[in-house]
Amino acid sequence: MAEIEDGEDIICTCGDLPAVGAPAPDFKLIGANMEPMSRGVFAGQRLVLNIFPSIDTETCAQSVRVFNEFVIGFYATTVLCVSADLPYAAKRFCGEEGIENVYTASTFRSPEFAEDYGVRMMNGPMEGLCARAVVVIDEDGRVVHRELVSPLHAEPDYGAALSAL
Amino acid sequence: MAEIEFRGNTMNTGGNLPSVGAPAPDFSLTGDGLAPVSLGDFAGKRVVLNIFPSIDTATCATSVRTFNERAAGVGDTVVLCVSADLPFAAGRFCGDEGIENVSCASTFRSPEFYDAYGVQIVDGMLAGLCARAVVVIGADGIVAHSELVNPISDEPDYDAALGAL
Repeated sequence: MAEIEDGEDIICTCGDLPAVGAPAPDFKLIGANMEPMSRGVFAGQRLVLNIFPSIDTETCAQSVRVFNEFVIGFYATTVLCVSADLPYAAKRFCGEEGIENVYTASTFRSPEFAEDYGVRMMNGPMEGLCARAVVVIDEDGRVVHRELVSPLHAEPDYGAALSAL
Repeated sequence: MAEIEFRGNTMNTGGNLPSVGAPAPDFSLTGDGLAPVSLGDFAGKRVVLNIFPSIDTATCATSVRTFNERAAGVGDTVVLCVSADLPFAAGRFCGDEGIENVSCASTFRSPEFYDAYGVQIVDGMLAGLCARAVVVIGADGIVAHSELVNPISDEPDYDAALGAL
């Protein structure tokens, strides 16, 4: 369990992010065209999981835009933007914004993702949604960087995530 | 359990809609501003549940617009649009479209809604989402009308729903 600041309040998550050096838990999420998204789909790639509450909120949207730009320069690297948004919301957003270099992956059919990655918020206005976090996984499936973002509305440390690649 | 058609394929729902003449099951969903919404909030009013897969798809969006127009002049009646969309998606849609006569409520925190109303799609491409359905609940809390829309790409029978009021 971890804590996130939200103004004067503290939000608790259901667990802890996977530890650096540990194998990343497998996952089964749903892409923007309702296709399955798992580690196996991206075998041989380094994965950046950009996890957040909802693409229809400003900080989350901004993180998608930033990773969409940054990832261009990285070889064999895939960014997956993970949230409980339905795939239709993610598809609309990426279409309107011209986002083409990152994938979106919805947890709507896979509540176990938030448990396995320890990111489910247990209280506060966004209870039930994913906390904001970044997990970088190398091509061997090991976690090489993790960040649980606090306070809730701050942006992730993009530089730290990308320098782990 | 009921069968519905989607693009020539058959999908199944996890249960059946509540029967006409039976008390409507209570529910607790998440509405605008992430506030809880329950059937009890509307005591003494007639409630139209416009249930669908996602507000970010065309037929669902049309049903929200249509109920928004046609419910405007109907007294003592609330239209609640229910889906697995996050409240942020619904808020964005209603804000962009000037939707003011209906409210939206998300099932994201309330998987028990699916069982209570028998509307979860359990297989196929749309597994985990709500089927398209309309349930009209009288001021006495008794189900006055229900429709499971089949095929799912059809619009609901608005006349039948509003005629039950």
